[in-house]
Amino acid sequence: MFLTRSEYDRGVNTFSPEGRLFQVEYAIEAIKLGSTAIGIQTSEGVVLAVEKRITSPLMIPSTIEKIVEIDSHIGCAVSGLVADSRTLVDHARVECANHWFVYNENMKVESVAQAVSNLAIRFGDSDDDGPAMSRPFGVAMLFAGLDKSGTQLYHMDPSGTFLEFGAKAIGSGSEGAQQSLQESYHKSMTLQEALKIALTVLKQVMEEKVSGSNVEVAAVTPEKGFHRYPQDEVEAIISGL
Amino acid sequence: MMEVVDNSYPGFQFSNFARNENLVAKGFPMPNSRKTGTTIAGIVFKDGVVLGADTRATEGDIIADKNCSKIHYLQPNMYCCGAGTAADLEMTTQLMASQLELHRLNTGRQVPVVAANRMLKQMLFRYQGYIGAALVLGGVDKHDSHIYSIHPHGSTDRLPYTTMGSGSLAAMSVFESRWKPNMELEEAKQLVRDAIAGGVFNDLGSGSNIDLCIITKDGATMIRPYDVANVKGQRQGKYEYKRGTTEVLSTTVRPIQIVAETVKKVTVEEMDTA
Amino acid sequence: MALEMMMSGPDYMRDPRKHQFSPYANNGGTSVAIAGDDFVMIASDTRLSRGFNIFSREQDKVFPLTPKTMMASSGCWADVLTLNKVLQARLTMYSHEHHDMMSTTAVAQLLSTMLYWRRFFPYYVSNILAGIDEEGKGVVYHYDPVGHMEKLTFSATGESVSQIQPLLDNQIGGLNMLGVKPPTMTKDLARQLIHDAFVSAAERDINTGDGIIIHTITKDGKTEETVKLRRD
Repeated sequence: MFLTRSEYDRGVNTFSPEGRLFQVEYAIEAIKLGSTAIGIQTSEGVVLAVEKRITSPLMIPSTIEKIVEIDSHIGCAVSGLVADSRTLVDHARVECANHWFVYNENMKVESVAQAVSNLAIRFGDSDDDGPAMSRPFGVAMLFAGLDKSGTQLYHMDPSGTFLEFGAKAIGSGSEGAQQSLQESYHKSMTLQEALKIALTVLKQVMEEKVSGSNVEVAAVTPEKGFHRYPQDEVEAIISGL
Repeated sequence: MMEVVDNSYPGFQFSNFARNENLVAKGFPMPNSRKTGTTIAGIVFKDGVVLGADTRATEGDIIADKNCSKIHYLQPNMYCCGAGTAADLEMTTQLMASQLELHRLNTGRQVPVVAANRMLKQMLFRYQGYIGAALVLGGVDKHDSHIYSIHPHGSTDRLPYTTMGSGSLAAMSVFESRWKPNMELEEAKQLVRDAIAGGVFNDLGSGSNIDLCIITKDGATMIRPYDVANVKGQRQGKYEYKRGTTEVLSTTVRPIQIVAETVKKVTVEEMDTA
Repeated sequence: MALEMMMSGPDYMRDPRKHQFSPYANNGGTSVAIAGDDFVMIASDTRLSRGFNIFSREQDKVFPLTPKTMMASSGCWADVLTLNKVLQARLTMYSHEHHDMMSTTAVAQLLSTMLYWRRFFPYYVSNILAGIDEEGKGVVYHYDPVGHMEKLTFSATGESVSQIQPLLDNQIGGLNMLGVKPPTMTKDLARQLIHDAFVSAAERDINTGDGIIIHTITKDGKTEETVKLRRD
């Protein structure tokens, strides 16, 4: 994959002579194996939609959870090593709860992304808080939320880099999905339109036929905060595509 | 039939002492007596003495009296400033005033200031400091002009100038820099005023006005107040209430009933004047 | 006899007296805050004292925190200064972390959290926080030294609280009166009540005096005014 791959891809804190951190780049590659997740920000709210890979008919699809609630005003979609995401999600939840405890206000979405990023790049350090984490987290996250500056969508990758997006796709189908989003996204989009586009794009990039049981959809709105869409509502949107 | 408590013994009653100690030990606090944080001072000048005092009386951090009198009469030629426990000062100076008056009548001459000093210190020593009185005694007699400072345990000093009370350091700093022998009256009055003002403004236990008492061989003059050092702040609003603003929760009228009436005849004993 | 029984022997027979660690000093100070619909006033006297001594006649005890909030602190002056220093640092850290000025409600909660953090070795400080909230209205928060917080429209704290709070309860809260409606708060009325409350407190409380500084906060900014009090 990388022409200059050498012994420099061993240590997580060792730069290659070209100035690259291979373990971080590999972690980013790991995201591309994950299921596709999409986030779209509108003035009415932010939509999150993810693909669930049902690899066996014996699997119970409802036990796959790739969209999680961070706080009542922030949701998060993950792609990559979902087990890694649990640590980061826990951290985000603790930060939000602590922020509420100390300041009696909702934590800003950007601040949550910053807090999670701080943890994400602590691989290879050992300090007073404990021993080193042996590798970067192999997960990318989409934070959808609502704070005093309005609705927001943040993306963070294993390098800890986080950026705000109007619409963003991560995971295996992200390249195609991002292309589609760029074509269809506009600022004056309604929440319903965003839901439709999210599922349309998922439909395009998913190998399986999209259904109410193999996608997970959630949104954050000023009225309801973070909320999931039940299966029948998702099916209704899919049938209207 | 209730026994009437016999109060005829002279001096202090100690019958409640043990009970009170017991109550304190069980956590029931003793009521506080009013102690006056005070500035008092006295100086000798060419023709006599000038005594000065502030007029603040405090109970803890609260000002109990904004214009109390701390210069007490002892004799026409003798006054005494007091600092300490208000009740002790009041009673001690009254007691001294009557004893000195009796002494004057018995001897048929003006009482010398040394005598007042000696009587005060003997009384205070007898009570081992439990009478909380710190005094500045000033007077003029046929011998000389006198200023004495008298401490609660009974020690005394005869001095040309002295101060006492919580503001004594502030007042003394003024005397130490400006007192000199044989001052004229006006200069002496100004000096004592400034000494008391030092206490009034720099000691939180002292405040309000400044009283002076000037004693010469021709007699004593109380000037009260000599200087209103602090003017009361002016309120901007009016705080008056209409009649009926305080709610009457309930009213009951109960007529007084006379159950019985007795008349007792008192026989008056004639005084033996033989 | 009874007397002998009560006295527990001569002093050398009694238990040795313990020498206690006493890290606190009381430096006096009184603060008042009154909120209106679009403003808040916060004032404190300017006397700093200990025992019968005056340390300063011109010490402002109201501290600016953000463009919209101020805090009046009194009690142990060393603790007042330290609490404010730490709070200022927390405010700066917040603005760096979150790219935003802290709101009055957030400052209010932070102060409560900071005070409770020292539950068993508290800052010996009485605090009132005054500010303009997110809706542009004036608010007052009152604290005890270990972080209990109450949101109010008017409050007094410090040395002369027992003189001033009943006056405010009556004149602003309309308490203990029959057929009297509480007034609508204006800047003039707030200023008058603060002035008169301190004038009266200075008459009877030895720790209150010298002067007052009245701070007013509105959406347009802050102003301050100094008033003289008796100095004895």
